Amino acid sequence: MSNHPFPTLDRRGFLGLTAGLSVAALAGCGTGAPAPAAGAPRAGGRLRAAFAGGGAKEVLDPHLANLFLEAARSKALYDKLADFGDDVAPRPRLAEKWEPSADLTRWRITLRAAEFHDGRPVRAQDVLASYARILDPKRAFRAKASLGLIDLPNSRAIDDRTIEFALKRPYVEFPNVLASFSAYIIPESTEDFTNPVGSGPFAFVSFQPGKSTVLKRNPRYWEGAAHLDELEFVIANEESARVNALLGGQVDYAHDLAPVTARGHQGSDKLMLVRSPNSGIQAFAMKVDRPPFDNRDLREAMFLLADRQQLVDTTLSGAGQVANDLFGKGYQHYADDIPQRVRDLDRAKWLVKKAGAEGLKVKLDTSEAASGFVEAASVFADQAREAGIEIEVAVGNKDTFWADTLKNGSLSSFRSGAMPIESHFSQRLLSKSTTNVTKWARPEFDALYDKAVSTADDAARGAVYRDMQRTLHAEGGYLIWGFADWIIGTSPKVGGVATAPANTLDWARFDKVWLA
Amino acid sequence: MKAVLRYGIGGLLVAVPLLLAVAGPLFVPDALTRGAAFGDTGPLGTDFIGRDVWHQVLLGGRTVVLVAMLATVLSYLVGVPIALLAAMTRRRWVDEVLMRPLDVLLAVPSLLVLILLASIAPRGVLTLVLIVALVNVPDVARIARAAALEIASRPALEAMRLQGETWWRTAVGYVGRSMLRTLVADLGIRLTAALYLVASASFLGVGVPPDASDWAVMVDRNQTGLFLAPEAVMAPALLIIALSVGVNLVFDRALRDRGRAWL
Amino acid sequence: MTLGHYALRRLLLGVVQVAAVATLVYLLVAALPGDAAVALAGDNPDPERIEQIRVAMGLDRPVWERFAEWLWGLTHGDFGVSIVSGRPVADFLADGLEPTLLLAGLTMLMLVPVSVLLGVASARREGGWLDRVVTTTAVGLHAIPEFTLAIVLIALFGVQLAWLPPTAVGTDGDLLAEPAVLVLPLIVLLARPICSISRLVRAAMIDAAASDYARHARRLGLSARRVRYAHALPNAVAPAVQQMARTTDWLLGGVVVVEAVFVIPGLGTILVDAVAGRDLPVIQGLAVLFAVTTVLVNLVADVVAFRLAPRAVT
Repeated sequence: MSNHPFPTLDRRGFLGLTAGLSVAALAGCGTGAPAPAAGAPRAGGRLRAAFAGGGAKEVLDPHLANLFLEAARSKALYDKLADFGDDVAPRPRLAEKWEPSADLTRWRITLRAAEFHDGRPVRAQDVLASYARILDPKRAFRAKASLGLIDLPNSRAIDDRTIEFALKRPYVEFPNVLASFSAYIIPESTEDFTNPVGSGPFAFVSFQPGKSTVLKRNPRYWEGAAHLDELEFVIANEESARVNALLGGQVDYAHDLAPVTARGHQGSDKLMLVRSPNSGIQAFAMKVDRPPFDNRDLREAMFLLADRQQLVDTTLSGAGQVANDLFGKGYQHYADDIPQRVRDLDRAKWLVKKAGAEGLKVKLDTSEAASGFVEAASVFADQAREAGIEIEVAVGNKDTFWADTLKNGSLSSFRSGAMPIESHFSQRLLSKSTTNVTKWARPEFDALYDKAVSTADDAARGAVYRDMQRTLHAEGGYLIWGFADWIIGTSPKVGGVATAPANTLDWARFDKVWLA
Repeated sequence: MKAVLRYGIGGLLVAVPLLLAVAGPLFVPDALTRGAAFGDTGPLGTDFIGRDVWHQVLLGGRTVVLVAMLATVLSYLVGVPIALLAAMTRRRWVDEVLMRPLDVLLAVPSLLVLILLASIAPRGVLTLVLIVALVNVPDVARIARAAALEIASRPALEAMRLQGETWWRTAVGYVGRSMLRTLVADLGIRLTAALYLVASASFLGVGVPPDASDWAVMVDRNQTGLFLAPEAVMAPALLIIALSVGVNLVFDRALRDRGRAWL
Repeated sequence: MTLGHYALRRLLLGVVQVAAVATLVYLLVAALPGDAAVALAGDNPDPERIEQIRVAMGLDRPVWERFAEWLWGLTHGDFGVSIVSGRPVADFLADGLEPTLLLAGLTMLMLVPVSVLLGVASARREGGWLDRVVTTTAVGLHAIPEFTLAIVLIALFGVQLAWLPPTAVGTDGDLLAEPAVLVLPLIVLLARPICSISRLVRAAMIDAAASDYARHARRLGLSARRVRYAHALPNAVAPAVQQMARTTDWLLGGVVVVEAVFVIPGLGTILVDAVAGRDLPVIQGLAVLFAVTTVLVNLVADVVAFRLAPRAVT
C-alpha cells in the first residue's frame, strides 16, 4: 500500500469497514506479544502517539467514532461491554459474564464493578441508556445496525449490575454485538462531550480538534491503572510526517506505516516496527447478479488467473500474506482446511473459453479510497490480460467510492478491516445485508446463516460456518487475494505494544504500554 | 565557439528531456516486467509497484511535456490578448468587463479549483491541460496587463497615437513587442509551474491516476522509497529540473541576442 | 481620480467579487459527486443509514434553500456551522488562520528583500556569471516539487543531522512556541516564489535600464546608480508587485503540501478535509475568506504599484 500521503484524502482510512461489530479481550490478558527492547514495565511518562486525523471535524462523542484515531481515543476514554481478541472472538470487558436463555433470545449480562472518571459507578441503567441513544430512530450512529436486533423496550435492568437483554430473534453471537465498533458505554443522559466522562483507562484533560488530545491515567481503572501518566494523541495525516516525527523524537508511537517505510527501516535502531498480521483484507469484488460475473465459470477463472504472490509482493511490498478467497484468516471459525488456491493460467483460459468470455472487456472500478487500490488494480489488469480478459481500470472519486461501488459496476476494488466472520456474513452476504457489494443473495446461504446463529454448540456452529465458506470459496464474488500486515512504528523506549489486528482490543491500546 | 558552448548548455538541458519524452516510448518493450517494489531489477531499479524505473522514465516524459507546453501556450493565447485589449482600450468598461471576471477566478485558490474541477471533470490529459491553463490565465493576464500599461504610458506610445498609427500596430507592434521580455521571463517560470501543478495534483490524488507513467507523478509516488531506491525519484526529478533550467537559459539567451539586435 | 476614490471603488467591486466567488464555489461543490452523508458513511455505505445521516444533516432540503439561508446568515456575519461536526465555521477559520497568517507573513517578510535584491543584482550584467548562477539556482529550485524539497530537507536536517525538528507535530498550531519548527517550512515556501519574483524584477530592470526615460535621465547627467535605484527600480518592481500579490494570495490560500508534510494545521488542511467530507458550509466559509484576502491583497498591490509607477495603473 502506498502511502502517500495525502492525508486528507485517501490515506486516512475510515476504519475498516465495518460497522459493526465487534469486540473484546479478556482483561489483562493482553494477548499480543509485546515488542522487545524496552525492558520491564515501568510507570510514568507521557506518550505521544501520532495518528492520521479527521481534521477540525473530529468529535469526542464515542458513538460517532469513525476514524482509527477516534476509535483509539474512544478506547482510552471508554469501555464496551465486550471487545474482540486477536482471533476476533468476543472477550468480556465491562460485562463480567453473559448467559443466554436456552432459546437464545434473552441474555443476562453481569457488569463488573467499575466506575466512571467522576466516581459514579457504571450501572445497568447507563448501559441501557447508551444503547438507547445509539438506537434512537432519529439518529444515525454507526453501531445502530449491529444493535438493531435488541428489543429494547423488553430489555431491563434487573439490578444495578445486571441487565437482561431481549432479542428480536435467537442469536448466539450476541457478544459480537456487545463488542460492536463504537458501542461504548457512557453515563446515562450524556449529550455534551466537551468534557467527556467514561470508564476507560485514561481520563480527559484537553482536546483541540484536528490537533491533539491529552488524557491522563485513571488510577481507579477496573483492570488496573495504566503505566503511563499521560497519553497524548497528535495528528499527522501524512505517513511520511508520522515517520519523520518518530525519527526526530517528536512522537513515541506512529500508527499505520507503509510497508515500504517498514522495509526501509527494518533493523534500524531508531525505530521499532510492530506488525500485526491478518489486519487488512484485500480483495476484488465481483457482482454475481449481473453479467459478466453472473457466470460461475468466469468467476472461477478470475480466481485462478490471479497471481496472489505478485499482488502481495508489489502492492503490499511483501508486508502481508496471500489469501484464499476467504475472509478472516486466523479468526475464529476460519476454514483453514480448504487448500490454498494457486494460479493456474491454463485452466483459467479454459474456463474463460467455456464461459464464452474470450476477449471480454470489463471495467474495474477503483479509486484512492484506500492506499494501494489503484496499484493493485493495475497489477491485476496485467495478470488478467494473460488469460485473455481485458480489464479497464477506471479510477473513480475516492470520497464516494464505497457508495458508488455498492450499487454500480460489476467489478471493484475492496478492502476490509477485521471483524468476526459471522459479521462479515451478516453485513455483506445475506439477501438482506445492507452492504452487499457482491450481491450474493441465496436463500440456502441465508438459511445456513440462520441455522448457525441459532446453534448454541460451538463445534456444530463452526461446522456450519465452514460449509458456508466452502461455498464462497468455490463460487463467491469476493476474490480475496491478500491479508495486509498492520504496521506500527514506535521509538525503542516504548514497551508493551501488542501485535493485534486493527479494530481489535489490543490494537492501539495504551494502558498496557510503558515508556522505558 | 564560446557562444556555441553557452547556448549549448541550455540547449543540451532542454534537448535531453525533450528527446526522451518524444522518442522514449518507442524504446519500451510491449510486455512490461514487474518485480518487487523498489527492487534492483533494471538499470534504475523498480518503482513503487515494481515496474522498471527506466521504462517509466522513457514513457513518462510525453504527458509532462505535453501538459506543461499545451497548458502554458493555451494560457498565453487566452491571457495576453485579453491583457492587451484591457490595457490599450480607452473605454474603462471594456477593461472592467475583461478583467473583473478574471479577478473572480483569481480569488478562488488554484488548489480549490484543482480539487473541485478534477473531481468533477473526466480524468485525462486534456482535462489537466484545461485546468492548468485555467488556473494560469488570470495570472498571465494580470502580469501582461501591468506590463502593457507601463509601456502604454511611455511617451513613445503617445507619439504613435498622435501620428495616427492604427490600434493594431501600436498594440501588437509596439506594446506587444516591448512586453516580450517580461512575458518570456514569466513564461519560463510558468512552464515549470505547470509541471509542478501536475505533481501537486498527483500528491492530492486528483486528476491523474496514481500509477500514471509521468515524471511528475513518479517523483511524487516514488518518494516513499526515497531511501530504498533514490533513483526512482532522482531520475525523473533531474529530468524535470533540466527541462526547466534549460528552457529558461535558452529563453534568456535568445532574448539577449535579440535585445542586442534591437539596440 | 484620486487614490482614495480608486480604493473605494475597488472595495465595492470587491464585495461583488466575493459574492461571485461564493456562488461559483457553491455551484462547483454542489456538482461534486456525493454529499456529506455519503462521504461520512465511507466504507459502510448502508443506504438506509446514509439517508438518515442526510436527514440529520438537513441535506434533504433543496440546495438553493440552504444556499440562500447561508447567504442570509453571511450578511449578518454568521458563517454557519459545519454540517459534519456542528462546530461553528468561524471556529474552523480562526483555528486555521493563525498558522497560515504566520507562515505567509514570515515568508513575505523574507521573500521581498531577497528576491528584489537577486533580481537587481543579476540584471546588472545580463548574462554575467552572477546572472547565470542566480538564474540556474532559482529555476532549479523552482522546478523541484515542494514535497520533494521538503522530504529531502527533512531527511537531511531533521532526521540525519537532527539540527532542526522534522515536523511541527505537537505544537498544536502555536508555532511561535517553538520557532525552530518554522525554519524548514519557510525554506520550502521561499524556494519557488524567490525564483518567479527575482526573474520578473530582473527582466523589468533590464527593460527599464534600456528604456527611453532611463537613457534620457542619463543624458541629463544623473549617475548610473541614481538612475538604476531611484528611477528604474520602482518602475521595474511594479510588475513584480502583481506577482508578489499572487504569492501572498497563494500563501494565504492554504499551502496544503507544506502543511501536510510538516504537520501544520493551517487553512489548506482544513480545505482539503472539508472537500473530502463535502462539508459545504466550511468550504463556503473558506472560499469567502480566500476571496476577501485576494481582493484586499490585490487592492494593496495595485495601490503600491500606483505609488511606484503612477501612470501604470488607471
